[in-house]
Amino acid sequence: MNIQQVNISENNFEQCIKCTICTVYCPVVPVNPDYPGPKQAGPDGERLRLKRGEFFDESLKYCLNCKRCEVACPSGVKIGDIIQLARIKYGKKKPKLRDVMLANTDFVGSVATKLAPVVNASLALKPVKLAMDGILKIDAHRTFPKYSSQTFESWYKKNAAYKQQSYKNQFSFFHGCYVNYNYPQLGKDFVKVMNAIGYGVNLLDEEKCCGVALVSNGLINQARRQAELNIKNIRKSVLEKGCPIVGVSSTCVFTMRDEYPHLLGVDNADVRDGINLATRFIYHLIDECGVKLKFRDGIKMKIAYHTPCHMEKLGWAYYSASLLRMIPGVELQMLDSQCCGIAGTYGFKKENYPVSQGIGASLFRQIENSGADFVATDCETCKWQIEMSTSKKVMHPVSVLAEALDVEETIKANAK
Amino acid sequence: MSANGKSDGYDVIIIGGGATGAGTARDCSLRGLRVLLIERFDFAAGATGRNHGLLHSGARYAVTDKESASECIKENMILRRIAKHCVEENDGLFITLPEDDLGYQATFVKSCQAAGIDAEIIDPELAKRMEPSVNPSIIGAVKVPDGSVDPFRLTLANVLDAKAHGAKVLVYHEVTAMIKEGDRVVGVTVVDRKTKASHNYYAPLTINAGGIWGHGIAAMAGAKVDMYPAKGSLLIFGHRVNNIVLNRCRKPANADILVPGDTICLIGTTSSHVGFDEVDDMRVTPDEVDLLLSEGEKLAPALATTRILRAYAGVRPLVASDDDPTGRNISRGIVLLDHEKRDGIPGFVTITGGKLMTYRLMAEWATDLACKKLGVDKPCVTMTEPLPGSRDEDEMPKGKSFIVKNPIRKSLEGRHGELSSKIPSGNEYDASLVCECEDVTVGEVKYALSELDVNNMVDLRRRTRVGMGTCQGELCACRAAGMLAEAHDCTKKAKDNLANFLNERWKGVYPIAWGDALRENEYAEWVYSGVCGMKQNDLR
Amino acid sequence: MKFDVVIIGGGLAGLTCGIRLQKNGVKCAVISAGQSALHFSSGSFDLLNKLPDGSDVDCPVEAAGKLDALHPYKKIGELLGFYADEAKSQLIGCGVDVVGEAGANTYRITPMGTLRPTWLTMSDFTAFPDGNSLSGKKLLIVNIAGFLDFNTKFIADSFESRGAECRIVAVSLPETERLRLSPTEMRAPNIARALEPETVLAALLSEIKSRSEWADCVVLPAVFGLSDLAPLDYMRSVIGKKVCLVPTMPPSVPGIRTQLVLRRAFERMGGVFMLGDSVAKADLKNGEIAAIYTENHGDYGIKAHCYVLATGSYFSKGLVARPDSVVEPVFGCDVDYEKKRADWYDSSFFARQGYMRFGVVTDDCFRAVKNGKALANLYAAGSVLCGFDALQQGCGAGVSMLSALYVADKIMKG
Repeated sequence: MNIQQVNISENNFEQCIKCTICTVYCPVVPVNPDYPGPKQAGPDGERLRLKRGEFFDESLKYCLNCKRCEVACPSGVKIGDIIQLARIKYGKKKPKLRDVMLANTDFVGSVATKLAPVVNASLALKPVKLAMDGILKIDAHRTFPKYSSQTFESWYKKNAAYKQQSYKNQFSFFHGCYVNYNYPQLGKDFVKVMNAIGYGVNLLDEEKCCGVALVSNGLINQARRQAELNIKNIRKSVLEKGCPIVGVSSTCVFTMRDEYPHLLGVDNADVRDGINLATRFIYHLIDECGVKLKFRDGIKMKIAYHTPCHMEKLGWAYYSASLLRMIPGVELQMLDSQCCGIAGTYGFKKENYPVSQGIGASLFRQIENSGADFVATDCETCKWQIEMSTSKKVMHPVSVLAEALDVEETIKANAK
Repeated sequence: MSANGKSDGYDVIIIGGGATGAGTARDCSLRGLRVLLIERFDFAAGATGRNHGLLHSGARYAVTDKESASECIKENMILRRIAKHCVEENDGLFITLPEDDLGYQATFVKSCQAAGIDAEIIDPELAKRMEPSVNPSIIGAVKVPDGSVDPFRLTLANVLDAKAHGAKVLVYHEVTAMIKEGDRVVGVTVVDRKTKASHNYYAPLTINAGGIWGHGIAAMAGAKVDMYPAKGSLLIFGHRVNNIVLNRCRKPANADILVPGDTICLIGTTSSHVGFDEVDDMRVTPDEVDLLLSEGEKLAPALATTRILRAYAGVRPLVASDDDPTGRNISRGIVLLDHEKRDGIPGFVTITGGKLMTYRLMAEWATDLACKKLGVDKPCVTMTEPLPGSRDEDEMPKGKSFIVKNPIRKSLEGRHGELSSKIPSGNEYDASLVCECEDVTVGEVKYALSELDVNNMVDLRRRTRVGMGTCQGELCACRAAGMLAEAHDCTKKAKDNLANFLNERWKGVYPIAWGDALRENEYAEWVYSGVCGMKQNDLR
Repeated sequence: MKFDVVIIGGGLAGLTCGIRLQKNGVKCAVISAGQSALHFSSGSFDLLNKLPDGSDVDCPVEAAGKLDALHPYKKIGELLGFYADEAKSQLIGCGVDVVGEAGANTYRITPMGTLRPTWLTMSDFTAFPDGNSLSGKKLLIVNIAGFLDFNTKFIADSFESRGAECRIVAVSLPETERLRLSPTEMRAPNIARALEPETVLAALLSEIKSRSEWADCVVLPAVFGLSDLAPLDYMRSVIGKKVCLVPTMPPSVPGIRTQLVLRRAFERMGGVFMLGDSVAKADLKNGEIAAIYTENHGDYGIKAHCYVLATGSYFSKGLVARPDSVVEPVFGCDVDYEKKRADWYDSSFFARQGYMRFGVVTDDCFRAVKNGKALANLYAAGSVLCGFDALQQGCGAGVSMLSALYVADKIMKG
């Protein structure tokens, strides 16, 4: 009999054998009893929803989409995807104005950048915060990321673009909204490192926000349009120019690799392997392609690395940790891999604030007790959350590399 | 009142707690008769609970058996009204595959229309849009008013209404002898299967509604009813692949119906003759599983890769009329035997043949005869009077409920209709889930234990769907056993029950135990044989 | 990525092997497709409880000689006692506190309240020397109100049948009541988490203490100490009389802690643990594994001198049963199984199931066999192996740890 050889239909939920392991690793369940938990919201609920859509429950919105249930599942059930797809398919609640604003990171960013000094000042003002809290339901405890007065893109065009073609290797940098509007310095750091090892940095013809916030706020059609545009430009770079795509944000990279096909139905199979994360890309160059990094003498830092949820799902924390360990004088502690609670825009919403901080509490304690000089992580929203909730600064591993790098020596070492 | 004056105050004793017996008990009690219903095991434990759960439109019989077909469509329409909490109005498709004769379609539709069945030929492309799981290579499709019906719920609703009208119900009581005065049946000897105590009950009329076991009951009264035990095997899949019933548009054959019902769908059946010695312990063979799968895949290709939950088999109570070895050409027609006329045995009637779909009509016929014999002149109202659970929606729960999640609330309401208002839900404990696959709450289990004649965990499963889901009891069995211990205040019995329940579930799983079903079972073995240390000699 | 040894499977076998190697300076990576079966641990580790003929085993080390030739213990042979002691000391060394000896089985308590033979028992629980330890005792069985996975009635019934006197009470705190707002998530690990803050635990214990005056011994569900043993020590010191924990239905709090403690020990020694990843394909060259490729790492291959297949049985998909065959999906190793599906099962749930002893065929030193030939650098350990029935013989944990240690030593000896 050649049927039933693979006992699995496209309904991956039926691989669930009700072992309950996922429920142990959900960060939401212990702090929010309104959330049904990954097993009930995911495979158990899906079976009922296939009976009739009215079995959908709005409380699925409490899922952070952290995918830690998927990482823990011994059966390979795509629990997080099942929950998010159910929200997309059956959710009826329209996004609020606040959600639309939070989700449109690039539109809001482009306006805010032009008015950066005013925006930053007013976002920090107490009355403004209270107004946002009261009217928009954005929690007053939140520190908004500062907006830069010059976007990364305009810096790049003025200061970096002209010399990139001189390098023998080329790739395209997916900078993401955070680098562009809030923290161009990370982009500059990345250009510095890549140029030092002989890689020219290009930008895509056009780049839109990866869409992660649109998905979590239910703006699916807009997310799909942006995904299609990004994939079109990524295809041009990867397939036509032979330039792989590298991003510095683990969430952007994860979204474009996995959420595009799984949640938005945007096929990326032909370019998925060409979408890479900065630390993984650099590690691979060192590991397999003879690239070398040279560091300044006299560095002494104690770093605690935090594994963002999507980094855990990608399974790539190893690359970031290995790179940091290459720096002489760095003492690296891997923090327990657990959710910080921010989950992108989730933690910004007033109704989620206590849950968000409750989820992160254990991580914050570990960070405070770590004795580290600072925390390193590959996700910008984790950075906001940890900086707001602990006394430690947070740096991206690429910025740490850039700071420790002996540029001259590195150029020399890679010139051969 | 029997000939020599013994009486328990019953007018009629009904033997058999399947749909027919329960339906007859209801009809009799609605017409004012004092009823005693006796069931050897549990309600719907025989053929009633071991079929497709198909709300036949009658189309399947239209070509070969017009009488059955028109009975079916009439009852179909009645059940939609009186038993709406047991029925899903899914519709059905009769599909023609390239290997089938498309010419049959015209005959089929004509026969349907002649029987009063609204059969409509539709474009295969439309059929594919209506039911995306259907085999995409179909060359013809006919839409008919099929649906699905939950036999456990239906039987229970009849029992509940019979009890509400004064009927007494004995489950786990087996009739061991007929009490006769001369040729007349005046009562029955019954053994309580739990206490082994024996008791005589008397009534002027005894109705045999024992299904395939009615053969033996008739023999006790000295009558010969030639039954034809035809085994039919079915497979239950883990979730709903289709939402419209799929049938093959050809002469009825093996594995040609795929029915969506509640959380699952099931394919069936096979047909083979079995001996009476086998009917108490039907097991599905590997060959039957393979046949069901290879044929089922032709209806909906997804079945080839969909997880199977379990396999089971039932015995059709066909009355043998000729020597056809397949058992398929025997009429599904209703057989009402007045043994006074037929065999000279007054006080005894057998109602058999038929099918789940026509249980109500069978009950009506049997009750009509009973009334005639007992001199009661009251019309049947079961075709219009809704069953408990299918009544006014206004009676839905209004008090504070801790059940706030849609899936749980809708599961409870779906299973019990307006009676779900009786399910305790006023605190966290009652609102918590025993069975996480089928969303059965502590309150629902309590309700079933106190109100619905539950003796053990298998009964509980039939009342509530505990253990009917993906895990087949692995997660919920222990919790339910704990509640049973609490309710019956007998831990020993609850422990035996747990072991037997797990074994009963395994009986349906092992014929299909590969892939995830085997993984699930290995896990269940670890939990119960391993961690819990349960052993073979826990089985009693 | 390059390692000395790559271990596929992060459960008891994989971690036991990895820890022994890493401790000896062998650089290891463990690739684990999700969390392991340790999450359903009974709190004890069995070595050997029964022989295939059904007779009880008192001294596993001696009885092992009577096993079938195919049993993994037969390959370990005379070193069985040595490796059993090594396994125990490695567990303790990593922070999994256990008692028990390979020379004499003791009894563990089950969630049903019954006693079953075992080898090592975690210090959460009591290892009973025999079945009479409870006779004449006054036991107070305490549940957390609303917790469905701890069957107090069953436990009391079993204890009473052994001559104990039992009372059942339920206690609650605002923190545990809060869990009850969810209809499903009042599970053992979530209770353990709610009880983590010392103030909460202290409140619970004082409640228990105030109600336990009558009792000789307090019986509680194993919902203490999700990440370390501190809550258990604290609990014992506060209650001030004998405390007997009883395992709950899954997930198992002591099991989760064991998984965590072993993983941390492995990582502390420098091992790399990759969770949520699985091997997608392997390069085979000249009868050896040249590299493996995983779902997460895609085209970046992982290379090692040796590979260990510790993928477990069906549950963790180390073995995959199809309607007509049983296969090992990662490398396609030879699997010993009955050809007729009807022979895989017994119709009784609790009887010996044929499928339980199916598994990967290995040579004398546990090198996995493919197409009849042992692969030079692929070893197999744990429940993926053929020739034993973990449940009927009560030897699952023993096979996992002993075969893993044996394989680690083989690898180091080259």
